[in-house]
Amino acid sequence: MDFLQSHLLTLVIFAPILGAVIIAFLPRDEGGQHKGVALLASLLTFALSVPLAAGFRPAARGFSFEQRTDWAPNLGFSYHVGLDGVALLLVLLTTFLGPIVVLSSWKYIQDRVKFYCISLLVLETAMVGTLAALDLVLFYVFWEAMLIPMYLLIGMWGSERRIYAAVKFFLFTFVGSVLMLLAIFYLWSHSAPPGQLRTFDYVALQAQMPSLAAGTQKWLFLAFALAFAIKVPVWPLHTWLPDAHTEAPAAGSIVLAGVMLKMGTFGFVRYAMPLFPAAALQYAPAIAALGVVGIVYGSLMCMAQQDLKRLIAYSSVAHLGFVMLGLSALTPEAVNGAVLQMVNHGVSTGALFLIVGYFYERTHTRDLSQYGGVARVAPALSAVFLVVVLSSIGLPGTNGFIGEFLILIGTFTSTTPLGNWGSLPRGQVLSVLAATGVILGAVYMLWMVQRVIFGPKRRAAEHGMTDLTLREWLTVVPLLAAILLIGVYPQPFLSATRVPAEELIQRVARPRAARPQGAGLQRPPDPDLPGAARAEGER
Amino acid sequence: MEVSWLYLIPLLPLLGAAVNGLVGRFLPKAWLYAVALLVVLLSFCIGLFAWFEVARLPGESAQLRQLVYTWFSVGSLRVDLGLTFDRLSGTLVLVVTGVGFLIHLYSVGYMDEDPAYWRYFAYLNLFVSMMLLLVLADNLVAMFVGWEGVGLCSYLLVGFWYDDETKAYAGRKAFIVNRIGDFGFLIGIFVLYFYTGQVGFQALKVAPLSLGVASAAAALLFVGATGKSAQLPLYVWLPDAMAGPTPVSALIHAATMVTAGVYMVARLSFLYVQAPGVMAVVATIGILTALLGAVIGTAQMDIKRVLAYSTVSQLGYMFVGVGVGAFAAGTAHLITHSFFKACLFLGSGAVIHGLHGEQDLSRMGGLRRAGLKHTAATFFVATVAITGVLPISGFFSKDEILAQALNTRAFDFLTVLPDPGSPRLSFLGPTIYLVGTLTALITSFYMWRCYLLAFEGEYRGPAEVHPHEAPWVMTLPVWILAALSVVGALIVLPGHDLRFTWEHFTEGLFARTRGGAPAERLPELVAFGIALVVAWAGFATAWSLYAPGRALEGDERIARVSPGLRKALAASLYVDALYDRLVVKPLWATARTLWRVVDATLIDGLLVNGTAQAVASVGSVLRRFQNGDVQRYAAVTAVGVLILVYVFLVRG
Repeated sequence: MDFLQSHLLTLVIFAPILGAVIIAFLPRDEGGQHKGVALLASLLTFALSVPLAAGFRPAARGFSFEQRTDWAPNLGFSYHVGLDGVALLLVLLTTFLGPIVVLSSWKYIQDRVKFYCISLLVLETAMVGTLAALDLVLFYVFWEAMLIPMYLLIGMWGSERRIYAAVKFFLFTFVGSVLMLLAIFYLWSHSAPPGQLRTFDYVALQAQMPSLAAGTQKWLFLAFALAFAIKVPVWPLHTWLPDAHTEAPAAGSIVLAGVMLKMGTFGFVRYAMPLFPAAALQYAPAIAALGVVGIVYGSLMCMAQQDLKRLIAYSSVAHLGFVMLGLSALTPEAVNGAVLQMVNHGVSTGALFLIVGYFYERTHTRDLSQYGGVARVAPALSAVFLVVVLSSIGLPGTNGFIGEFLILIGTFTSTTPLGNWGSLPRGQVLSVLAATGVILGAVYMLWMVQRVIFGPKRRAAEHGMTDLTLREWLTVVPLLAAILLIGVYPQPFLSATRVPAEELIQRVARPRAARPQGAGLQRPPDPDLPGAARAEGER
Repeated sequence: MEVSWLYLIPLLPLLGAAVNGLVGRFLPKAWLYAVALLVVLLSFCIGLFAWFEVARLPGESAQLRQLVYTWFSVGSLRVDLGLTFDRLSGTLVLVVTGVGFLIHLYSVGYMDEDPAYWRYFAYLNLFVSMMLLLVLADNLVAMFVGWEGVGLCSYLLVGFWYDDETKAYAGRKAFIVNRIGDFGFLIGIFVLYFYTGQVGFQALKVAPLSLGVASAAAALLFVGATGKSAQLPLYVWLPDAMAGPTPVSALIHAATMVTAGVYMVARLSFLYVQAPGVMAVVATIGILTALLGAVIGTAQMDIKRVLAYSTVSQLGYMFVGVGVGAFAAGTAHLITHSFFKACLFLGSGAVIHGLHGEQDLSRMGGLRRAGLKHTAATFFVATVAITGVLPISGFFSKDEILAQALNTRAFDFLTVLPDPGSPRLSFLGPTIYLVGTLTALITSFYMWRCYLLAFEGEYRGPAEVHPHEAPWVMTLPVWILAALSVVGALIVLPGHDLRFTWEHFTEGLFARTRGGAPAERLPELVAFGIALVVAWAGFATAWSLYAPGRALEGDERIARVSPGLRKALAASLYVDALYDRLVVKPLWATARTLWRVVDATLIDGLLVNGTAQAVASVGSVLRRFQNGDVQRYAAVTAVGVLILVYVFLVRG
């Protein structure tokens, strides 16, 4: 039991791989077994991650479920994993989506099933690992490991232009990562004076990095930020996304939208911003502005699409614009809202791709002009679609509202981090501009709804459109539950991210208050946080 | 007083919506009706109980409160799901659940043959729940939940018959235009939160606000009100919203939801009196909308569109009321209007029901003698109420607004321009009175035109349609509403010593404007006389043109005198076409252009694929190095590693 306790996170990380290994030993032709094992492995992973949520103490500073084993001490890298509130939510999101992803393409994927299942499971391990890693080498390994299975998912099981999309996806993300790798090496080389042991350990590096010279910080920040901004994607680095989403099979789109894009925003929260706080503060207005451009521009792009999946892909650009805006605003409301919005986007856009995948499975078309009148033939599927769309446009009562509202109100009240344009507070300007996204979101999303489910029946509704099957119900019900739960009772989620958000803001936006002298990160424990002192001591 | 059961008022209809929406399809019809009606009736009963509690408590302390739970709390922002049942919100709870129940009952008859009746009742229950939340909310964010929630129900119910592309479009239009308003509402919340750190009404009431902040917040929130309550320039969705089933038009688009903006301004009276300039804007927008709605209403042929423009116009009156600081008068008209307008809409529904879907006034006529006795009588009563030819509810409530506008001193110290030397705005009140009186004349005209065209003269519809009266489940609620339109007068009777009037009942609830006691620019009795004369003049004009037997001659005569005007009015003054040309089309065109030019050509074509091509051409050079000689690869790799090691270890 003790072993389980202390290795829980590691188990969650590697449980999917375990499934992949089992599948690898199964005979190639038996499709059903492969999927069954994949489902079991992903369910097991989710079950293992539940104690993570249950055992998490939101008030504790630092990382929970930490585990550290030396790997190559001379080179300074170790197997070091742990979770803070932000990572915890995203890990839960990943493991929650895992079984849904496996179930989503149960019928659709009939070709090279074994390889497909292995890819999905490897991908899940890579994603959880990326979130849990507390060592930069480990992080980078997991980060790059995500690329390969996703590349294969798009390239092998995608639709017509899959090769173009897969290569584009790979090149975009890879180019970004290379610069980040160089930056990681630089950090390592400066982690100790020559002759002493250097380290890739995140916790150690985080304590030192604010002392870097401003100029150096700037370059390192940009190297990290580029890698993450491509992943998010931040405008104008987004053009790989519509192609990748459109061509990927449904499961690929769900993973991509649900989790992988959040690796970019997570990267900002975990690495780019806290490691280089001065540079992060300097670039915050620019990133916030790019976020707003993403919101407005992404929404307008949606209005120009005829392809259902491409439309939803562009809506991701808009939604993640909100997240980037919230992170850069550096107020508690905005940062907590941004982190929650990462989860929301994973749930809602994941659900949208799931449902659109079901449409596509039935009709083999993504062309909006073929749709219409689906509500007549598939009322339940349409109702679910509508609810998910409503959460996507941030209707109060659904998850989307909490995230968007907090981001917008937090940005509006952000004074020092974002500064002024002349006499205009940038925060207020950006918040008002971003809020137009609330209108535009309704414009394109309800337009899409009308094109697909309302109006007279068109070709797609006439041919083979059936309502939800039991398996499909099993995939949508958890998502709907999450949408309503977060919308009605968001506090547990917000509480989980309170401390990391506060720490991020302290580091970046109020550096003087946080660091009395020198470069140390130590700060008197917050008296109103029980357990804070202990957590501090454990480190 | 803290109580623990207020949440039941909005929760019960929500549960009804959940039951009907999830399993309603499988329930026997009678059960479903029972659920849908009972939850609203129960809410009404709880509301009634609470209302008597509140009516017993003295003055300003007369409220019941409940903190249901803290919805979310981040940083210094704390948003509670808190409810306040005071004399204003409490009375509206009774209106929403009372009128709501009558309309639910009516719907049992109206929607009985529709196969999707279960969906209809689920939406209707959901609407009642959201409206109750809007009314009871004790802070801006919770109010916004109800605010958008009723918008959702409106969207779903306007587009209820979604097979019809235009109906689905009307629902979408309603939602999007409302969202434009909601945008203002949201920013208004942000402004108040930024400067006070609060979103709750109680806290905001005592928070000190500068003139600038109060004005900005009040103006932004009013943008929200123009959306929800269909005022200039965002009123365009309401006439189209008539695409929904008629009981929905009665409940949502006449009696309750569209009055939410008025309620919000009244609820925030403490904020608006701090922004007198914004109040002047509210009153001006209100009177302009009242006039515009009435004018357009004169030329509509669709019976529901007449009533829709009439609603736009009457809502304008309410905004005049709250805009001149007569919050009690504005909300009193809200209540009486909910009775007579719901009665009118349900009457039109009975007509449409009896004529198998016919909505065109030109194919009606003579319905009173063709069997629709009850409908004609109730429609007549409600028409009397709205036009004010006899002093029943609508007469007094509208007159009170106009009298208050005439006598207000709220604008006396405002100037037209910020420059203190520019003329004072004290002319605004009397001007509003004049325009409002003119509007009353037009109102009387178009409503009597509507009544005469529909119910008097000879039947003009096709012979194969046999008009028939609605069943009792439909006529009973209409009779009750007609009765309320008459007795409603009790709460708005003039006379300051009457203890049961709305003004007396809500004393102390609303903030007072700065101008001080109203002037007496016209003796009360003279004002009444003018109002009566005007109402009768409108009736006389309508009678002269549309008297029984003249059929559509009146319209033709107007068309002969001024063909252009008549055409423009029938086309609603081309406002929709204008918005389409100015906003809608350019927006979509921008989207498509941006996509083609920036995304596809500039970023993807030039930057991404351009780079790829450049790389490819470089690659064709580099290909020579990639010759499969593993030893050479290893050598190159080793050199590279050495360089890296040198850079990091030796130099670093």
